[in-house]
Amino acid sequence: MKILVTVKLVPDTTADKRIDPATKQLVRSGVETVLNPFDEYAIEAGLQLKEKIGGDTTVTIVTMAPESGKEIVRKALAMGADDAIMISDPKAEGSDVWGTAYALAQAIKKNGFDLVLCGTQSTDSITGELPGALAEFLGVPGITHARKLEVEGTTVRAERETDNGYAKVTADLPLLVSVTKSMNTPRYPALKGIMGAKKKTIAIASLADSGVDKPVGHEGARTELIDLVSPPTRGKGEVFQAADAVAGATKIIEFLRERKLV
Amino acid sequence: MRDVIVYIEHVGGQPRRVSFEMSTKAKELATALGGKLHAVVLGTGASAAADAMKAYPFDLIHVSEDAEIDAFAVDPSVDYLEAAAKAVGPALVMVPYTMIGRDLGSRLAARLDCGQNADVTDIVIKDGKVGCVSPKLGGTIVTTCAFKGDYGVVAIRPNSFKAVPSAGAGEIAQLAKPAGKTYRVKIEEVVLEAAGELAVEEASTVVSGGRGVGGPEPFKTILKDLADSLGGSVGASRAAVDAGWIGHGHQVGQTGKSISPNLYFAVGISGAIQHKVGMRTSATIIAINKDGTVPIGEFADLLIVGDLFEIVPELTKQIRASAAVHA
Repeated sequence: MKILVTVKLVPDTTADKRIDPATKQLVRSGVETVLNPFDEYAIEAGLQLKEKIGGDTTVTIVTMAPESGKEIVRKALAMGADDAIMISDPKAEGSDVWGTAYALAQAIKKNGFDLVLCGTQSTDSITGELPGALAEFLGVPGITHARKLEVEGTTVRAERETDNGYAKVTADLPLLVSVTKSMNTPRYPALKGIMGAKKKTIAIASLADSGVDKPVGHEGARTELIDLVSPPTRGKGEVFQAADAVAGATKIIEFLRERKLV
Repeated sequence: MRDVIVYIEHVGGQPRRVSFEMSTKAKELATALGGKLHAVVLGTGASAAADAMKAYPFDLIHVSEDAEIDAFAVDPSVDYLEAAAKAVGPALVMVPYTMIGRDLGSRLAARLDCGQNADVTDIVIKDGKVGCVSPKLGGTIVTTCAFKGDYGVVAIRPNSFKAVPSAGAGEIAQLAKPAGKTYRVKIEEVVLEAAGELAVEEASTVVSGGRGVGGPEPFKTILKDLADSLGGSVGASRAAVDAGWIGHGHQVGQTGKSISPNLYFAVGISGAIQHKVGMRTSATIIAINKDGTVPIGEFADLLIVGDLFEIVPELTKQIRASAAVHA
């Protein structure tokens, strides 16, 4: 079985980010790039399926990122993935969800797949729109927000989180599944994995190599950025030392009344 | 882009609050674009939900109660919405930024070969363009993005707009079943774990607990009581969710939900950046913590330093007493 896991390289959210007022661009210098934390759950899900199913099952990482991100992709290989495909092309720069999903879909189709696993969202744009769009471009159904996943032959059973519970669903491969953090605890790469990852293949492909037949990047984007600002910062508010419960509660009530919140 | 279509998410015929919020904003946009305002309501209970939407200014309410819509995940709804959008012509399609809404929106945008803007908190018309305002990178920047094509899909963060009822023509139109479709993701069973509870992203008041809460019990007792007294919902920090004290659906923050309630209580939450990014757009933030030096003190409107196990029940008591006086 061919399992493909999509990953995104994102700026570390714990880092301080600021906008250059002149260029309206994000200042990236000094901000570390990391593997999108949500994607680690998808990688772990892929590795667990491979361990369970065995045979000729492979886990391939696929991403669209500049070649400079190669060593970050290697972390996924250190976790245990077999190899990786990186779409690295200057023409991919500025891709929106449409362009990213379209390009990834072409690369995945070219490679062949039975199951595509995604994280539910990225920590930078947080749209959560990639899995749905990717499933459309792959021409397969999707099970999004899965918290439990079992594959038996070509039958997939999953529990899909909803806003007020979950749904048990079944489907046949080929399929796309997005994985929530409730599903597993991603493993840390062991030393053996880190050493082994150095020998694994990260295939760098241009858009053309990947079979992308339409312009993506800035040119193909279906959306355009028309403004970018820093939000007003929240100032430090009042700090109140509550002598006892009544004093603390009374203070909150007064505060809520002032703001007409009660 | 001329008309505006609002996808009405509902639970058994009861529209979710965000449906009403979107409708009011959608009317303003339809007027500015010189187009009509449409609603699409799908699945079991759609007719009842459509009736509820008649209190809002829709020209047309498109409905289908086809049983397949709830028998299979997402795909039938996408087909209906796609057919409705293509019949209407160039349009802005608004979906809620909920688990269902973003699934539907992302697939629809791919079908319509158009752009999508998600987690949008405001929409502005600028030089004739529909500009979608959205916090990105954990709210550290705010972007405004427009669409390049004839169609656009926008997913709206709940609590972004105020719902103001105002009836329109509200003509009901039955949607025809899309032909030649077969579906593969079969829904075997739906389990409601929090039936009747308002989702954390939809509540106008959220009471969240963190590591300082110490265990699962307070989420069901003191935090829930405070939330109930204010008509709100219970949220949680990652620490509380990872400890298994409460489900992931309640998590606020980088690996949970980003929310914008009117009032946010952070109880026993230190306020690390990963939490801050999920709640910084709340209108008012009140923190209760035993430690006066926690990071949340730097951006909360009020930090009460004291014992949360005593202050929270006392606060609930006072709110209930005050409500009783005003009732």
